[in-house]
Amino acid sequence: MIAAIQALLDGLMIGGVYAVISIGLTLVFGVMGIVNFAQAEFLMLGMFTAYYAWAWLGLDPLIAAPLAFAVVFVLGAAVHHLMIRRVLKAPEVAQVFLTVGLLIVLENAALLMFGSGFKSVATSYQTSALHLGPLFISVPYLAAFLMSVACGAVLWLFLERSWFGRAMRATAQNPMAAKLMGIDSDRMHRTAFALGVGLTAFGGAVILPYLTVSPTVGDQFVVLMFTVVVLGGLGSVAGAVVGGLAVGIIQSISGLLFPIQMQNLVLFVVFIFVLAIRPEGLLGRAR
Amino acid sequence: MKPALKYALIALALAVAVAVPFGLEPRGYATRILCLVLLFAAMAQAWNIVGGLANQMSLGHAAFFGIGAYGSTILLVKYGISPWLGLLPGMAAGGVAAWLISLPTMRLRGHYFALATLAFGEVMRLVANTWGGLTGGPSGISVPFSKPGLAVFQFKDMRPYYFLMLAALLVVTAIFAGIRHSKLGYRLRAIRENPSAAEAIGVDTTRTKIIAAVVSGALMAGLGTFYAQFQFFFDPDTVFSIPAISVRVAMIAIVGGVGTTIGPIVGALFLIPIEELANQTFSDQAAGLSQLVFGLLLIVVILAEPRGLLEIGRRLWRWRGRT
Repeated sequence: MIAAIQALLDGLMIGGVYAVISIGLTLVFGVMGIVNFAQAEFLMLGMFTAYYAWAWLGLDPLIAAPLAFAVVFVLGAAVHHLMIRRVLKAPEVAQVFLTVGLLIVLENAALLMFGSGFKSVATSYQTSALHLGPLFISVPYLAAFLMSVACGAVLWLFLERSWFGRAMRATAQNPMAAKLMGIDSDRMHRTAFALGVGLTAFGGAVILPYLTVSPTVGDQFVVLMFTVVVLGGLGSVAGAVVGGLAVGIIQSISGLLFPIQMQNLVLFVVFIFVLAIRPEGLLGRAR
Repeated sequence: MKPALKYALIALALAVAVAVPFGLEPRGYATRILCLVLLFAAMAQAWNIVGGLANQMSLGHAAFFGIGAYGSTILLVKYGISPWLGLLPGMAAGGVAAWLISLPTMRLRGHYFALATLAFGEVMRLVANTWGGLTGGPSGISVPFSKPGLAVFQFKDMRPYYFLMLAALLVVTAIFAGIRHSKLGYRLRAIRENPSAAEAIGVDTTRTKIIAAVVSGALMAGLGTFYAQFQFFFDPDTVFSIPAISVRVAMIAIVGGVGTTIGPIVGALFLIPIEELANQTFSDQAAGLSQLVFGLLLIVVILAEPRGLLEIGRRLWRWRGRT
């Protein structure tokens, strides 16, 4: 019983981070209808930004997370302007394979720039844990979780309260009507894409204290991120939060029941079933 | 194009394809690359049945490829069954797997189908890695050497492989063209153009697409056996690879011209040599450069003309005619 509660707690901690790294993916789809297969590569870039901020400037990854957000935000705006913008009206096959091409380019550019080795940071809190009776919470997990919650809250305020956020949601709901109200849809798309990949990079930075980074780290996250957003309903930001927590918990519970290699297997099978039964997500299309 | 000219061109291309290996060193590097070109053209053609005709973008075709490779190789290693016989149960397993995954996912369109098949490929990779008793696990499996000959599907030099790969490509292409011009092909085209209209005039859309998927999966599995006999060694991460198999076969078809009969052949002739050349040229430099070039090419072709090289060629031809 204790083991189950512990697994639930671990799952919740990891799930919070999954939510933040996946919100970007769902945001981009919601606003512009593009499924970005390269999203996990921006997570990798966020991790590398945080790593070099630590190695060169001595910054803690948690403090470097906004920096990772900013760097990848700018990169995302450039990628949107050079590529994504041009396939918005193209057939789906072009959209999918453009982002697949981007995935290949980013992964291999990283391989050339950073080398193929695994890199990790050293922090003072890396191995410490809080004890709550028989349960314990690992400090780096808790820190990543709290940073994710804070980031999610800021995003929520931005989308709900600011003019810009409202304009973005309007573009997602009805592009034509938004245009007629004087909203520059290209600017909205660019911002949504940059924001989306920036959020994922932020998530990458906060998980760096308990993970190692390499140019291929994105591969572990591709299907995982899609599972999160499809569970919650592609395009729904609130859904991504629910999906993230669900995936975190499914992962840690199945870690209790099955050998470690099977952990992702359970996740993928859940993913295929959700796609087959409720492709619109568990929460439906509600936004 | 006039039919007579078309048949003349096909005959010429075939004559060249048959003649080429006799001008090359039989154990040489060039022949080996051509074998890979033919094999990947055939794989992309098999993908084209689902991706092009049924317009369902599969990103999980490595699943069927790996099933075929493991199927015949396991039968060979454990029971000494010739790969030629092992080919059949492998293809059957590939077809059944395609049927099983299509049942719940074929209703999905576009991105959703791509995602579901992507996950299916990963499931197969994890299963092959975990079920070590059957597959040899992550350390891979080797095809045992025996006295070379057609009966055991093993040869001393590359030339026989070349002709077998060419035959495989011709068979898969003939099946593709046959489907394209059959009732099934017209149904698939109707579904592609307008699924609701197709349904309204009585096409069972899901069933039609599943038939296409089963044929495609079985062919892909058969080509997996060819790959296994050609490479002699493979592991789960190679044959179930997303970038090296699933994405690559789709990419070859798309870069050449998705849904067309010669698109995958054009795509393979273009992409595989470029990739090998990049590997050769940059092999002393850091890893990743050739893949980077590969990814950039994909992006450039899609931004320039999502319908692929064939369409670019057609446009150039028209433009030349005008001036």
